[in-house]
Amino acid sequence: MILIDCPYCGEREQSEFTNGGEAHVIRPKNPEALSDKEWGQYVFYRSNPKGIFYERWNHTHGCRKWFNAVRDTSTDTILKIYKLTDNRPDISEFQSSLKSPSGEPAVGSGNFAVKK
Amino acid sequence: MTKILSSDSVNILQKDFLQVLLRGNGRDQFNQIIAKEISIKPPSKNLEISSDDKYIFAKNSFDQWSLLYLVEQDYKKILKIVENLNMSDEILASDYSYGQAYFEISGNNKNEFLNKLTNFDLRSKKFPVSTMAQTLIARIDCSIYNLKDKYIITCNKSYEEYFKNRLIDINNLS
Amino acid sequence: MPALRNKNCNYISNKVISITFDGKSYSAYDGDTIASALLRNNIRLIGRSFKYHRPRGIYTCGIEEPNALVQILNEHNEPNTRATIKRVYEGININSQNRWPSLSFDIGSINNILSPIFSAGFYYKTFMGPKGFWKKIYEPLIRHTAGLGKPPKNFRSKSIHQNHNVDILIVGGGLSGLIAARKLINTDNEVLIVEQDSFLGGILKNSNKVKKIDGKSVFDWVKETEKLILESKNIKILKNTLVTTYNFTNHLIALEDKFAGKDIDTNKTELILHKIRTTQTILANGHIERFISFRNNDLPGVMLASSFEKYIERYGVVPDEKPVIFTNNSSAISLVKSLINLNCKPGAYIDSRKKKDIEDETKDYLSKNNIPFYPESEVEGCEGNKKVEKVYIRSSNKEISSINASMLCPSGGFNPDIHLFTQSKGLVKWDDKIISFKPDTAFQNTITLGSVSGNYEFKNLCNEINKKLSFLKVNDLNLDIETNIRDDFSISELWETKTNKMSKWAKSFIDLHNDVTTKDLKQAINEGYDRIEHLKRYTTNSMGTDQGKISSINSLGIVSKILNKKIAEVGTTTYRPPYAPLSFAAIAGRSTYEYYDPERKTPIHNWHIKNNAVFEDVGQWKRPWFFKKNESETMHQAVQRESKQTRQTAGIIDGSTLGKIEIKGKDALEFMNLMYTNAFTKMKPMTSRYALMLGEDGMIMDDGIVCKINDKHFIATTTSSGAPKVLSHMEEFLQTEWPHLKVFLNSITEQFTTFNISGPKAREIIRKVFTDIDFSNEKFPFMTFKTFDYKNTQARIMRASFTGELGYEIYISPKHALELWEQIFNYGKEFNLVPYGTETMHLLRAEKGYVVIGQETDGTVTPLDLNFNWMIGKKKKDFIGKRSLTRSDTAREDRKQLVGLVPIDKSFFIEEGQHIVECENLPNKIKTPIEYLGHISSSYHSPNLNHCISMALIKNGNKLKGKKLFVSTSRGTKNIPVKVVSPVFIDPENKRLVS
Repeated sequence: MILIDCPYCGEREQSEFTNGGEAHVIRPKNPEALSDKEWGQYVFYRSNPKGIFYERWNHTHGCRKWFNAVRDTSTDTILKIYKLTDNRPDISEFQSSLKSPSGEPAVGSGNFAVKK
Repeated sequence: MTKILSSDSVNILQKDFLQVLLRGNGRDQFNQIIAKEISIKPPSKNLEISSDDKYIFAKNSFDQWSLLYLVEQDYKKILKIVENLNMSDEILASDYSYGQAYFEISGNNKNEFLNKLTNFDLRSKKFPVSTMAQTLIARIDCSIYNLKDKYIITCNKSYEEYFKNRLIDINNLS
Repeated sequence: MPALRNKNCNYISNKVISITFDGKSYSAYDGDTIASALLRNNIRLIGRSFKYHRPRGIYTCGIEEPNALVQILNEHNEPNTRATIKRVYEGININSQNRWPSLSFDIGSINNILSPIFSAGFYYKTFMGPKGFWKKIYEPLIRHTAGLGKPPKNFRSKSIHQNHNVDILIVGGGLSGLIAARKLINTDNEVLIVEQDSFLGGILKNSNKVKKIDGKSVFDWVKETEKLILESKNIKILKNTLVTTYNFTNHLIALEDKFAGKDIDTNKTELILHKIRTTQTILANGHIERFISFRNNDLPGVMLASSFEKYIERYGVVPDEKPVIFTNNSSAISLVKSLINLNCKPGAYIDSRKKKDIEDETKDYLSKNNIPFYPESEVEGCEGNKKVEKVYIRSSNKEISSINASMLCPSGGFNPDIHLFTQSKGLVKWDDKIISFKPDTAFQNTITLGSVSGNYEFKNLCNEINKKLSFLKVNDLNLDIETNIRDDFSISELWETKTNKMSKWAKSFIDLHNDVTTKDLKQAINEGYDRIEHLKRYTTNSMGTDQGKISSINSLGIVSKILNKKIAEVGTTTYRPPYAPLSFAAIAGRSTYEYYDPERKTPIHNWHIKNNAVFEDVGQWKRPWFFKKNESETMHQAVQRESKQTRQTAGIIDGSTLGKIEIKGKDALEFMNLMYTNAFTKMKPMTSRYALMLGEDGMIMDDGIVCKINDKHFIATTTSSGAPKVLSHMEEFLQTEWPHLKVFLNSITEQFTTFNISGPKAREIIRKVFTDIDFSNEKFPFMTFKTFDYKNTQARIMRASFTGELGYEIYISPKHALELWEQIFNYGKEFNLVPYGTETMHLLRAEKGYVVIGQETDGTVTPLDLNFNWMIGKKKKDFIGKRSLTRSDTAREDRKQLVGLVPIDKSFFIEEGQHIVECENLPNKIKTPIEYLGHISSSYHSPNLNHCISMALIKNGNKLKGKKLFVSTSRGTKNIPVKVVSPVFIDPENKRLVS
């Protein structure tokens, strides 16, 4: 149960929130002008990185507001939370935390508890 | 007013309040329209409460306010206020009276008691007096208002019986 | 004769109580655990092992116990209770486990002789064939003989959860935890101390290692510290509470036993699951002693040395007066001192370390007290009938000699208890000095203090704590800690001793709980399972409920030797929560039975109960499913009666559960046009429309009726369970994609109670209720609505219907809801107005061909599939999901489409969910797949047509009208012949609807 710092309500437990998938996927302005493939890309395709991920959250059981977060998917650490109206933070802000404490490889899972 | 439970350290009453839920942008025009109908000013800071013996006016979120009437009012008058407010496109006012259940919790042990039903951090450094929060209590959506020596908790009326039973159950078990 | 008592022990009272074990009654003292009580009565055989049914005794004195698991008969038969933890009380009734017919004569122990087939991976290898044997022979056999206690029949008590938000959590109220706490007294930090025992003190009460602190006896020092803490304004203590889980963002879970040492009062909470959110965690949870593997190291009478000492010091019972002690480290000498203090004398002291490495103090003390001393020696094994009788010693010259003894106490060194630290994702590191893993890099705000951090030396302790807590800006605390043993810890590596004698019976165990032997480890590696995670699962090593607390590092040691690698390279398996077994009752808390899910009730709920409603769960709502006219009426009869009556005169349903959303603002019209498929622009004010909401993939998400008050103000209804989803969907687009739209939303579901009255007599009834309103067809046509004042509250009536009959939907303040509902019945009496529930609602709408979201749709159905082309605002430039409707897949003509089906023989009934096929019979054995055309989404017996009507989604259904097809049944291979028809079975011309 991670703690999420809602920009409007403060720190609350994850159970109050709903994850809204990848952030910064913008709805095309003119859907009719797109090919099936281009439209499909918007509707169905999302990135799924290990490491830094820009995602949306909704404070469903609180203020019902949406906001964005940057989360390291390999450690579940939330690195930054920002409002929808804020600019997307540059990935270079987070580069240093790409690795989990055990220095896991960049892809794949694994549990490394022992310091090498 | 109904007494739900009372012990050495926790007292819970159920009350009947009237309530209006407001949506708007909180800017000048919004405030002016409200000033015409309601004598107290809507708080401008998120989660803040302006209150006296008669009202709670709370800002639930950046575009949402709750107005609770703590003393008996003419319901007709409240509905008229809602109607007047809705004349403007800048505001959506919905009458929430009779659709919500209201509980007043006081006593020295109220935090520990409520923390059997919610993980919300009730410590005064995280939840100061004269602020409100929307959170899960007993697994349902509630609003909680911190009025110094007591909390007011509201939930949807349909959960009234369930919520009441959970309060009594926790009190009986501990 | 009872065992010797240590009268100096301060933790056990003199009150004698009576307990029952395996049907026999024994005396114990108040404060005893089951284990200490049994040892007091000289009982050493306590259970049979998991796989081989070998006799087992008490091995430890705490949470790490692998053997002594018992069943508590008077607590709902609670199984697998650790005898070393569970405190006794007057009348407790305990049974041993996994034995039949009795503990001393157990038929299952034949498994021990058959043990070659139970070796590593035996489940995977032994039971391969012949076909059918697994299900009929092997599985029942294994289930009968293997395993632990019998499951309980019920939750033993009601458990609750308690949440905490604190600044600092201290796990463990031992010496390190108490020093940290003393430093924090009356600071600004809110502190919680969690201690698993009922007394604070840890090693101070469990051993005689520490003599004095600041000149005070350790008992007095702990008492003084506890008093200071209790008097402080900022520190709380939870005793009898075990931290089991360390989650992300410093969230820890601990289990408290409120009835430790007491008979359970079932009206009160026995277990409390504490959920603790903290800013800083201080782990001071100590260490666990590990064993050494040797021949028959599982015999009753073998007990870890520090556990033996704990029984003397903490529980005041001396399990044996002349135990043999076997150690590879410097700590076991304190056990010797404990025994000598009580005028007992160990039978022998065997130390595997080199003579020069053994402390002079130890050598002197042993010789002064005339204790047989075997340096550079080891225990080869032990023997005896269900108990230790003889211990075989391999001396430094490799000669083996034997001595008589009834207990043997190995000490294989100590592991910092890193379980919680690694759960928190902290990294551990191998330390050659203590020969164990210790915490290295913390991942969260975690600090480890004392032995859990790998510091076994008392004189360093205050320094370590002062340094590690300096960031909290608290005062230093320096204590004078006087010890009974030499403070510097010394150990030599020893995991397993070589076995000389080979017999079928003899085994050297690495996991006592799961009966894994050191031979199994070797065999698994030979078979290629040389990765530690694979090896663990193949052998089941350290997979028991004790999670290998006393043995998992030993297995790493043995494996590293075989693989010729360093232990750090072998790595550890992952420590996962919980630290110790956690009762399901505690996890569930009050979310069981009546509180399994929150319940929502409408303002009419009590009326429904009075009128014999049977309820159905719709989301969290309790909705009347049907109303029983009398006791003997069945559901089918009730639904047929309600349906028929509604079409004959009138029926009414409580629709308060429908979601209602108020939408208002300058751009409300544009917003609604984007959210719904329908075109709202040309819609007149004060009219309403059936509306569809799609996902961006073009699939139907929800439906409802949209009322347009004006271009800037709408009210939309949603399905009962879809309300939160729809509101959140609307908010999502307003907040993310179209923040420029000036629109505000409020949920008003609870602000309006809703009834729907329909049937040919609906108008006549409602006219009598609301005399001021003109209900004529001209003034109040279909799909329009009126708002009016009802007793000073705002009410709304809409002409709409979900049955296909003339219908009115009434929206009224909950303040007046019940009285109005009752009034409608008063006026409706002469027309036989009938209340109906959700089942009749479903039947009536199916007769009319109306769809239900979630029944006809399942997230793969587009509006086109349901022939809802008329509801799509094709001229609108855009709405959510529009573009997807022309994707090549959604635009296909041969998609599954909604049709009606009727059985050709009208006496047949079609079941929901059945498949539609082209063949009359299904073959007995299906060898090649049968083409499946679609499925039945709804099916009812229509009382108005007097035959079965079904709705189905069939491939290319629109083109199949009039065709004969077949529907499978649950009763056999013969399918039901059906005819494909329009899904509208009643009033296709809408005459009734608009009458």
